[in-house]
Amino acid sequence: MNARTALRALAVLLPLAARADSLSFTYSASIYQDAKEVALRSPEGVACTGGSLVVADTGNRRLLTFALKESGIISQTGEVKLGQLTSPVKLQVDGKGNLLALDGKSHKIVRVDANGGFGGFVELKGAPATPMILGFKLDAADNLYALDVASGKVLVADLAGSVIRAVDLPKGPVISDIAADGGGTIYAVDGVGATVWSAAKGATAFTQLGKSLKDRMSFPSYIVAHQGKLILVDQNGMGLVLLGLDGSYLGRQLAIGWNDGFVYYPSQLCINEKGDSFVADRGNNRVQQFTTAR
Amino acid sequence: MLMRRLFVVLALAAALLAGSTVWAAPPNFKLKKGAEGKLCLDCHAGQLDDILKRPFVHTPVRSRECTGCHNPHASDHGKLLAGDASKACASCHDMVPAKARSTHKPLAEKGCTGCHDPHASAFKFNLVKGGNDLCASCHKGIADAAAKAKVKHRPIEQRGCVACHDPHGSAKASSLLSSDVPGLCVGCHKTDNPLFASKHQGYPVAKARCTSCHDPHGSDKRGMLYNRVHPPVAKAMCSQCHEPAGSANPLRTRAQGMNLCRGCHAQKLGQFLEKARVHRALLDGASCLSCHNPHASKVAGLLKAEPVTVCGTCHADTIKRAQVSPKKHAPVSDGSCTACHDPHSSDIPLQLVNGDIVTLCGTCHDWLKHSSHPMGEKLKDPRNRNLTIQCLSCHRSHGTEYKKLIPYPTTSELCTKCHEQFKR
Repeated sequence: MNARTALRALAVLLPLAARADSLSFTYSASIYQDAKEVALRSPEGVACTGGSLVVADTGNRRLLTFALKESGIISQTGEVKLGQLTSPVKLQVDGKGNLLALDGKSHKIVRVDANGGFGGFVELKGAPATPMILGFKLDAADNLYALDVASGKVLVADLAGSVIRAVDLPKGPVISDIAADGGGTIYAVDGVGATVWSAAKGATAFTQLGKSLKDRMSFPSYIVAHQGKLILVDQNGMGLVLLGLDGSYLGRQLAIGWNDGFVYYPSQLCINEKGDSFVADRGNNRVQQFTTAR
Repeated sequence: MLMRRLFVVLALAAALLAGSTVWAAPPNFKLKKGAEGKLCLDCHAGQLDDILKRPFVHTPVRSRECTGCHNPHASDHGKLLAGDASKACASCHDMVPAKARSTHKPLAEKGCTGCHDPHASAFKFNLVKGGNDLCASCHKGIADAAAKAKVKHRPIEQRGCVACHDPHGSAKASSLLSSDVPGLCVGCHKTDNPLFASKHQGYPVAKARCTSCHDPHGSDKRGMLYNRVHPPVAKAMCSQCHEPAGSANPLRTRAQGMNLCRGCHAQKLGQFLEKARVHRALLDGASCLSCHNPHASKVAGLLKAEPVTVCGTCHADTIKRAQVSPKKHAPVSDGSCTACHDPHSSDIPLQLVNGDIVTLCGTCHDWLKHSSHPMGEKLKDPRNRNLTIQCLSCHRSHGTEYKKLIPYPTTSELCTKCHEQFKR
């Protein structure tokens, strides 16, 4: 094979490889209401495991818990209403199945106990100032990563809540959310400039990954690291954007619309170990389930 | 032999240089002595007689060197110009600095003739209008405000706009300023003058940006402060927000971000923060100062600039979408973002001022006159049982690439999203 033939073969195979490495989201089901037929209202948060789903039904100031059955049926198991959580916006479930919810009003993370009661606020011991949290994530070891705009840092806390690492947010970008991968790298997305930043394990500052993706997305509001990729919720661009861990653009999924399978101002996404993903479709007052396939 | 090689090298160098010039020297038309301008005037007398009577005649015209700019036989350029018009002028007039920090838009877009008459004019520098009138033909708002201002800036009255601005371009500053602020200002306003210090309450503002408080085009306020002045500034109570003038860091504020403003605006801030959705700009480090000028402003609410500019700092996508939309939504094109959005906080997504979209749009639109399509809380959207039919079921308020602010290329595509039975 001469060099020209090899280049031609690469030109054909590389896009195929890129596509093969990408994720596709196929519509599966929607949740429009609770068991009492009360309609969801501007839901902003979702968290899921293989067998359970929690929805932050933000407009109704509550959380709804669901069981995900093997048959594919989603059945409601409970409702959580807490005085400390009047505006639930972002949710995470830790390795033991405990639920943490960010309150958009107090900017504090609330622990919800197994009975749906208030389990206390997450205290970040050693934080430089009283935190004002706009986003958070958990890693596989249940370390907590908090986007704290009061200190202008990402604070990493261990299981006991002690801050073990603080990384300055980049000056200028308006960081709307953060994510962490299994290797301790922190990712941050700039909603205004549509840039993605990373701070490797041990780094004290963020560096920009690639160029602005302003022509690809508009006000990305949520980021998650999943199986070697970054998935961003493109809030005003109405869809999901897939990036490589180096910030390279891999493609986009979903589109603006009101029918099932489309999204309108989506806000959060979760993917469980079975590959089922749930999108808090805020503007459509529903949560949608998608199956993901490579 | 050596001389011949040298000649070839020089000839090649000359040819290269000639090729790189922006304006080729006019060819020698071998006109009879004294025939240059006279020949042209034989035919163009009617056009040029009046022009030549004007007090300011362009030198090549006065010396009848029409071929300095025009080719008498044929040309690829309009008006038989021998080359590109802008390059013709630049061959004699090198007016724009090589590394300009700002260039005058008409010069960049239309060339010199936007402001200058290439033949003759009643005004100095062959300007098409005199003095500030020429500037006012584009910058009417500034010119009118300067003319009406109770407290006028003397250089404007005495020397006009060019007292501070270079009308072609500036290598030193933005906005065509001949020097950056405060350097430009302190050229006249001596900062070591005791009066200067007392007017500024003893604060070391010599290196501060004067135009963050003062309107250089004149204003109605004493000290030429912008017309909207923050009360502590108007009352010369600088130390209400800043450390005392005699302290080690006199310009440092007594508190940072929102905490400084809370001192006076606690109630207002409390109301903002009570809402479920607080504008991110308010939560970040600069907080209130993300959008407001703490000293003085031209714009109501002490905004840093007109709302569309302030909001557009972050929401450039939305502003751009509105600009390219074939149908303009008046509040967006007028920059009245706050007609629909609360800039501080709201309990409603997108920080809308009213969650009932029909009522919100009804502030300006009488929908019964606009459309007979039923709308309201009782009408479920066929596409989504958790939505009801309202204005945004069919329109996108900031604009789309299609007519009537609809999200699809044709009305039938829009309608058949719900009325599927009519889909063809």
